[in-house]
Amino acid sequence: MAETLNRTFTPIAQGMALTLKHYVKMLTARKENIATFQYPEERREQFPRTRWRHVLTRYDNGLEKCIGCSLCAGACPARCIYVEAKENTDENRVSPGERFAIKYEINMLRCIFCGYCQEACPTGAIVLRKDFELSEYSRQDALYTKEMLLEPILMKK
Amino acid sequence: MPDIEWVYIKINGIALKVPKGEMIIESAKRIGVEIPFFCYHPRLSMKEGGANCRMCLVEVASRMPDGSLRKMPKPQTSCSLPAAEGMEIETDTEALNADRRGVLEFLLINHPLDCPICDRGGECPLQNNTMHYGPPTTRFIEEKRHFPKAYPLSQYVVFDRERCIHCARCTRFTRDISGDEELNFLWRGADMEVATFDHTEYNSRFSGNVIELCPVGALLSRPYRFKARPWDLQSAKSICTQCSNGCNIKLDYRLDRIHRVNARLNEDVNEEWTCDKGKFGMDYISDESRLKTPMIRRNGELSPASWEEVLYLIASELKNAEGEVAGVGGAYSSNEDIYVFQKFMRETLRSKHIDHRMGPNFQSYNSGLLKRFGCPAMGNPIAELEDMKSTLIFGSNFVDEQPILYLRVRKGWRFKRNKVVEAAPQGLISEEIRHVTQFAEVSLNYKNGTELPLAQGLLAALFEDKGRPLGEQKLLSHLSGKNVAQCASETGVDEKDIRKAAELLATDKMCIFAGEYVTHSPDATAILEVLGDIAVLTGNAGNLNVPVSRNNEQGAMELGILPDMLPGYVEEQNPGMNTEEILSACVKEDLKALWVMNTDLVKEYHNSDLANSAMDACPFVVVTALAITDTAAKANVVLPVHSVAEKWGTFTNVERRVQAFCKAFEISPDIHAEWKVFSDLSSMLGSPMTYADGKDILNEIVKSVPTFAKCGPNTLGDEGVILNPVAGGKE
Ligand code: SF4
Ligand code: SF4
Ligand code: SF4
Ligand code: SF4
Ligand code: FES
Repeated sequence: MAETLNRTFTPIAQGMALTLKHYVKMLTARKENIATFQYPEERREQFPRTRWRHVLTRYDNGLEKCIGCSLCAGACPARCIYVEAKENTDENRVSPGERFAIKYEINMLRCIFCGYCQEACPTGAIVLRKDFELSEYSRQDALYTKEMLLEPILMKK
Repeated sequence: MPDIEWVYIKINGIALKVPKGEMIIESAKRIGVEIPFFCYHPRLSMKEGGANCRMCLVEVASRMPDGSLRKMPKPQTSCSLPAAEGMEIETDTEALNADRRGVLEFLLINHPLDCPICDRGGECPLQNNTMHYGPPTTRFIEEKRHFPKAYPLSQYVVFDRERCIHCARCTRFTRDISGDEELNFLWRGADMEVATFDHTEYNSRFSGNVIELCPVGALLSRPYRFKARPWDLQSAKSICTQCSNGCNIKLDYRLDRIHRVNARLNEDVNEEWTCDKGKFGMDYISDESRLKTPMIRRNGELSPASWEEVLYLIASELKNAEGEVAGVGGAYSSNEDIYVFQKFMRETLRSKHIDHRMGPNFQSYNSGLLKRFGCPAMGNPIAELEDMKSTLIFGSNFVDEQPILYLRVRKGWRFKRNKVVEAAPQGLISEEIRHVTQFAEVSLNYKNGTELPLAQGLLAALFEDKGRPLGEQKLLSHLSGKNVAQCASETGVDEKDIRKAAELLATDKMCIFAGEYVTHSPDATAILEVLGDIAVLTGNAGNLNVPVSRNNEQGAMELGILPDMLPGYVEEQNPGMNTEEILSACVKEDLKALWVMNTDLVKEYHNSDLANSAMDACPFVVVTALAITDTAAKANVVLPVHSVAEKWGTFTNVERRVQAFCKAFEISPDIHAEWKVFSDLSSMLGSPMTYADGKDILNEIVKSVPTFAKCGPNTLGDEGVILNPVAGGKE
């Protein structure tokens, strides 16, 4: 009987002791030495050249950089970008010059995050940034529209 | 074949034999040596502004009379360098590469960096040549030339003056090909710009072609502006549906939307041109108004229904009609649709009342032609027209009725010095300045409605011309004893002009066109007899052309949507009713059902009152249509059918050429091919038709209609095949 108890509880106690040891160590350790992140409250800092979710950027004056040229779509090996362009008018100026994208969609399920689109873009409009949370509840939701991709207008103080 | 004088030349050390005088740029193509160019175009003349871009430079050594080779000190433009015996050409030397870099650097001095937003980007010769031959950078750091962007030249063409490289292709096009001479250069040097006189609107029936010709993105299509980039588009080989000429085109589309139409090369038909009706008129295919489900009239309103429901309804109505059914239309459907339609009417429904004709004239002018010359419409193939020494255009608004035939005839005049005689009613010429009149040697401007006496006048003049053989006495009968002077006073045309015209027509290569003023005239048969006599008398029997004008009207004739002709012009023993009789029978309530095949009957039928009241009186009207037209709005059942972009099929064009078009996309699974509707119904009515696709049907046509014997789906190719001559029938 004692033999059985011994065989059962000793390893548990040993294991718990190890856990406790690390728990105490962690409580007292310096933050940067901890490997575990409390996701989603905390996120690991990405490497500088990480390529994740795309952003359509703007100029400082709020105009969109994208001119709807479709070069990104042409460069994309996964054929997952769809661009439709339209003509700027003086009443409705979206980007500098004659042309802007009225529709801009990326199918995130197909994208392989190669960054060719960013490379092809003549105006630096499309960039891949560090936001990697790209799961969706349906395939349809994984079609990112221009509204979702566009950077919000920054208010300059 | 005329005798060609051949010469031996060498290009990059490769010896070859070419016709003497051929431009070296063409000779190089023969052996696949590429010479970059901008302004050169084989169909445009070198005169008046050719050879200006200097891109096509080559180094030349000519053979001297003593047999030695002498190298020219400077490079030459190969687009204007005629091949001569013993010439030796280099196209790929260090010096040439430097020259090309220089030429491009100069061209780019004033060219804006617009590629990402330019509609030409991706298929632009300037872009391509710069990538291959151009300098990596420019040394020009000063301010470029600036003009307002996107200047609207016309309804269809926008012009970006900053991008123009002054190649003069567009200006030469308007002079050499379309003949409206609208575009020309204004100012000189860097300020040079293409413009119309006084910056008025660029008004042309062929303006779309300059968009394709322009080697940069200076002349661009307005409807296509910023719609897509070339790599976004897919392309389907197709045939223009806007008239009977049957231009070969490419439908460029994205998803299920047509974005633009470009010409497809077919040397025998449209060469590489289209007219604006075609180039800018195909949007209807992906228009919002396209009908996407069958419609049934319930309580006086058309409302959507399922295919099962409508087919069941139609089948039971047609069964009850017991042969008292008629069908009209068909000139806008494919050969396959037409064939299955007439088979369905004749064999399944046992009705002979089918007709595609909408004009006022039901005299059998076509069968008259057929019996006499063995040809129901055009006696000459299109390609032959440019070789006619003289052409008579009789009673036709030619450029509008037959744009591509017009271009051919004009080409013969412009490049081969052929003579053109025009006979047009007085109103037409004064309204239409850009008409054949511009280049016609003689214009006979007759009083409206006097086509017959004028034709007789020409015939009489030919008889009176003592140089003519007078053997053909039986032709005299059509003259009704008139002489030239009488005809002249009747028609209001100067007698001298009639004689001069007749003189011009008396050549061994002459052809006659009869236009709508003839075919719609009450005297059509008589006029065509006389015109036929003129052809016979000048020794050009058979060169009488009575071109049809609607998309597949020729096909509807060939495949028997005629009350008196079965497919292949086999005469029907007891003819059915023609369109007019059918519509009158509807009004008298003698018919139980009417099928309108993809035609806006009330608009197109010359007597719209009759058409309207027939539609109202007929108890059951089925319309197949692409959209709700005025006719469809009056129907009991409307069935949505495929347009030219949604199925494979063939059309027969004005010269009886059968040409295939390919499926581009599907708009909705609830839109069916027209033939499918007939074959489904036929099966429901107890005579199964088991066609899997259009090619099946064409194969059956090939087997059963002798004129189509050479037109199998696999033999048509890209250029199409002309139908066999009609058996029998020739005077
Ligand atoms: S990252 Fe690559 S795959 Fe993704 S959209 Fe850009 S080009 Fe396409
Ligand atoms: S993101 Fe860049 S490459 Fe893509 S359409 Fe816009 S401007 Fe062109
Ligand atoms: S507009 Fe185009 S075709 Fe005309 S001259 Fe300029 S570059 Fe040439
Ligand atoms: S000539 Fe006729 S077939 Fe050719 S493009 Fe014009 S409308 Fe179409
Ligand atoms: S192509 Fe020869 S000079 Fe332009």
